[in-house]
Amino acid sequence: MLNAEELKAYIQTKFSEHACLSPNEVFGADLTLAAIITRSERMTNSVDLMEAFARTSNALRKEHGIRVRLPALALDTPISKVLEAFLQEAQRQQEGRAA
Amino acid sequence: MSSVPQNASATVRDLHAAPARQKTAAPQTRRTEIVADLYQAFKEEGRTLVDITWEQQRLHESRRWSVVELVDAVTLENVSESDRLVVWNAGRAELTTKPGADRLARLADTECRRWQGRDATVASILQACGTWSRYWNEEEAHHETSFNQLATVLGMEPITDQTFIEFRKIFPDDDMLRTLTLLAFSEIVAAVNYAHSARMVQEPGLKALLKQVGADEIQHMTYFIAFAKGLVDSGRYPAKEAFAVAHLFLREGGEVQGSKRERVEQRETHVNWWDHVEYREGMNAPDAVEKKETLIFHALKRITGITVSSAQEAEDMWLELVGC
Repeated sequence: MLNAEELKAYIQTKFSEHACLSPNEVFGADLTLAAIITRSERMTNSVDLMEAFARTSNALRKEHGIRVRLPALALDTPISKVLEAFLQEAQRQQEGRAA
Repeated sequence: MSSVPQNASATVRDLHAAPARQKTAAPQTRRTEIVADLYQAFKEEGRTLVDITWEQQRLHESRRWSVVELVDAVTLENVSESDRLVVWNAGRAELTTKPGADRLARLADTECRRWQGRDATVASILQACGTWSRYWNEEEAHHETSFNQLATVLGMEPITDQTFIEFRKIFPDDDMLRTLTLLAFSEIVAAVNYAHSARMVQEPGLKALLKQVGADEIQHMTYFIAFAKGLVDSGRYPAKEAFAVAHLFLREGGEVQGSKRERVEQRETHVNWWDHVEYREGMNAPDAVEKKETLIFHALKRITGITVSSAQEAEDMWLELVGC
């Protein structure tokens, strides 16, 4: 079972990888979803962003058995909020499994 | 002035050598239909773009209708307040179709040339799509002008030139399979809305117009499905892109909910018609979300060969296809 910091680092690494940006670039600057799409060479629009979240979610499930529902958020949402939502859901699932 | 091809002499010789097929073309008694399996048509049956274009033309001609006649058949004083809003909304919504069709024509041709020399069948499917877009554009012009003319003669709030131009903004480019799938789903949303409205309105002329437009949208949906299926069948476009668009529509608060969503994305780039439909008190809101979802599942099956029957299943399948 991963602790909160490990989970956070894992999600940040995976998402940045799929966005083709460095973790610091995405999370350090707390980019909005719209800004991530603009800066990422891999992304054309919000469907690509959805796919980056999907791949992150799939990795969590495959490597850690945690199933996170994909967030449907507005493009002006900062990534810190998305990360928070991911973390809460992941922790809730981990706790549920442990109980 | 056209340029002379380098092998012009050979072309002329071949033309002279070719036997005349017939002095007059035989009457076309065969039923008109959309060629649903384009990959097979080009790859296995050896059909050409001229063959496919002829089928497109035959179907287009067989479905022609007159905007002027259908608008004239509406008895204005019998159109209720609620029905007027249907007309007004439809006219504004249809304004956004032309930029969609303009973009499709350009995108399909660009994509076709990208495949030339690499996959002749895919290039042909894409060129067939770009060629057909002229019929789509023309038929959508019927929808736009009929509803906007009706709204005008009914004395409804006019569309300013500024709004008209705003609604003509060209959509941003995207992956071709996603684009075609999105257009197929958009036609589903439109067709279900028109069918619902046709059932609700009382004035017979308006009812007939809504039915006619709805039937056109179903035909357009079928075409988009055929082009999308051709791309998936070719193995060059992954089915995950069709499922990504399905997820976009079907997810909680997704596009299938239209302007009734709690939060509609603000876009600078273009106008999304289903974001702009305005419901007012006393108006029959064309929801029928379940019907739209069912048709989306059906379209997904035809495009990708994969069966899903709920939003959750569509999401699960998309996640599976996306991988890690």
